[in-house]
Amino acid sequence: MQIDFHYYATYAAAYLAGYSHKECMDISYSAFMVDQCSKTLLKKLGADTSAATTMLQLEMMDAGGDIISLQEITAIWSSFHFLPKDLYAQKSKHPKRYMHKYRLICGPDSELVKKTVELAKGSSLQAAGIAMHVLADTWAHAYFAGTPSLVINNVDNDIYEITDPDDRLTDRRIVFNHNPASPDDPEKNSYTNSMYVNNENSVMNLGHGRAGHLPDYSFMRYRYMPAWDDYRMMIKDNPRDYHNAFCQMIHALKYLRGLTDSFETGVYDTDAVSPYDERIRQILGRRQLLASDDWKQFAHDLSNEDIEDFDIDKYQDEYLMAVAGKRPDTFLGRFIDAASAHKKMVCTQIAASKNPLAGFAGKIKE
Amino acid sequence: MTRFQRAKEIIYALLIMIAAVAMIADPGEGYKIIIGIIGLYFTVLGIIRLYYYFTMARFMVGGRRSLYTGIIMFDFGLLAGTLTNVPHYYIFLYLIGLHAFGGAVDILRSLESYRYKASWKLKMTHGLIDIAVAIVCVIFLKNINVAVFVYAIGLLYSAFLRIIGACRKTKFIYIQ
Repeated sequence: MQIDFHYYATYAAAYLAGYSHKECMDISYSAFMVDQCSKTLLKKLGADTSAATTMLQLEMMDAGGDIISLQEITAIWSSFHFLPKDLYAQKSKHPKRYMHKYRLICGPDSELVKKTVELAKGSSLQAAGIAMHVLADTWAHAYFAGTPSLVINNVDNDIYEITDPDDRLTDRRIVFNHNPASPDDPEKNSYTNSMYVNNENSVMNLGHGRAGHLPDYSFMRYRYMPAWDDYRMMIKDNPRDYHNAFCQMIHALKYLRGLTDSFETGVYDTDAVSPYDERIRQILGRRQLLASDDWKQFAHDLSNEDIEDFDIDKYQDEYLMAVAGKRPDTFLGRFIDAASAHKKMVCTQIAASKNPLAGFAGKIKE
Repeated sequence: MTRFQRAKEIIYALLIMIAAVAMIADPGEGYKIIIGIIGLYFTVLGIIRLYYYFTMARFMVGGRRSLYTGIIMFDFGLLAGTLTNVPHYYIFLYLIGLHAFGGAVDILRSLESYRYKASWKLKMTHGLIDIAVAIVCVIFLKNINVAVFVYAIGLLYSAFLRIIGACRKTKFIYIQ
């Protein structure tokens, strides 16, 4: 997912859940901040780098293939972008080494997403924003794992866009290239992906890199064969999944705001969306690489307020000028605390499942 | 490429350069040490790849590629280790064969890159020169010193290109 959904659509979901304009801005800012808060940024702020929620390209390139680097990568990507669906998933006659990776495959409506939302309950708006990022990504990034793995994340070249679900003969083959200078072109069905690297732990095999940005485009419906699913074809219906993500965010935000008693997985607040359903589906289905303008306009029409664009510098001065003891009370201070708490929760859960890929159990501080 | 992978490529290139210099310094004996190193290298690599296949890749779509590459590498390694008592010509033909095979793989990979509109020229040049070096070595096979010299120059060139390749930027998808 990109800024269109994590920022503007999150604002709209928060507004439909009953938050004020100001609160919506804080939630959506925090949701998109998850894609910006790297170690490099935290170093610049003089903050604890273990709260990083993403990695910059160069940080990824510099990461080693040793277990400590793998744990650092996995802790970030599994916690914030590829929340595991089932940490205790079973597959008979598969060695532990394989299962550790298999159990990190991301998917929606998991126990972990419930814990994520519940952790944000009673906490800050920043925590709510982080939870919304994590929740939304479980839909977009489903079937990929937030750890480098060829055997899980590899995708072969047989990927087809489904243009008409009722007529499979119209499926169009997607052509991939690895040219950094070549932008994705939906009209020619030409997209960029990470190149094949026959190395299990290469960062090239992290997440959905081998499927390019297809999971990030809300209009995209496609079928492909994931490396881990025993030669079965997978159909990924992004317009449907993004719609579910939007409705589930409203359900979660209503719970966080205290309007409902519990957050349940598999519940999507379609009632709140129904007056706008046609427009939302229109935005999700439009063939465009970035839907920010559409979502921004929709958000503006909902609240009748100007939705300012995301500015990464917006709260940095407040944090830098604050005296050390007061930093946790600043906007970024609350974001960093919420990110640390969330990462600790997910890593603890992964370690508790006897999976060492996000850190060893003994190292996680309770 | 990660920093670790770049370092690995550069160290590998430096080892090739050392081997090439050794061959130029003593064409008669240098190649025996080199063939031993090549044999050991391929055997270990083959075992690692086969272990990876049996524990991981056999559960993956298209995972048999790891099995095939593991078997081929292991076989290369064992074969290389058995060649020390064979006349120079055969050992050298084997080395030339390996070199030409590497060149052919580079050409195939560059054609694949060309199909995907990615950068392909450097790899194509590398492959063509590797094969040209192999052909020249075969032509001068009767004069073993000349052939070894040409082969060593080819190795130096390959090592140089590996270092360039390790220092180039590579594309990967930045996930949001």
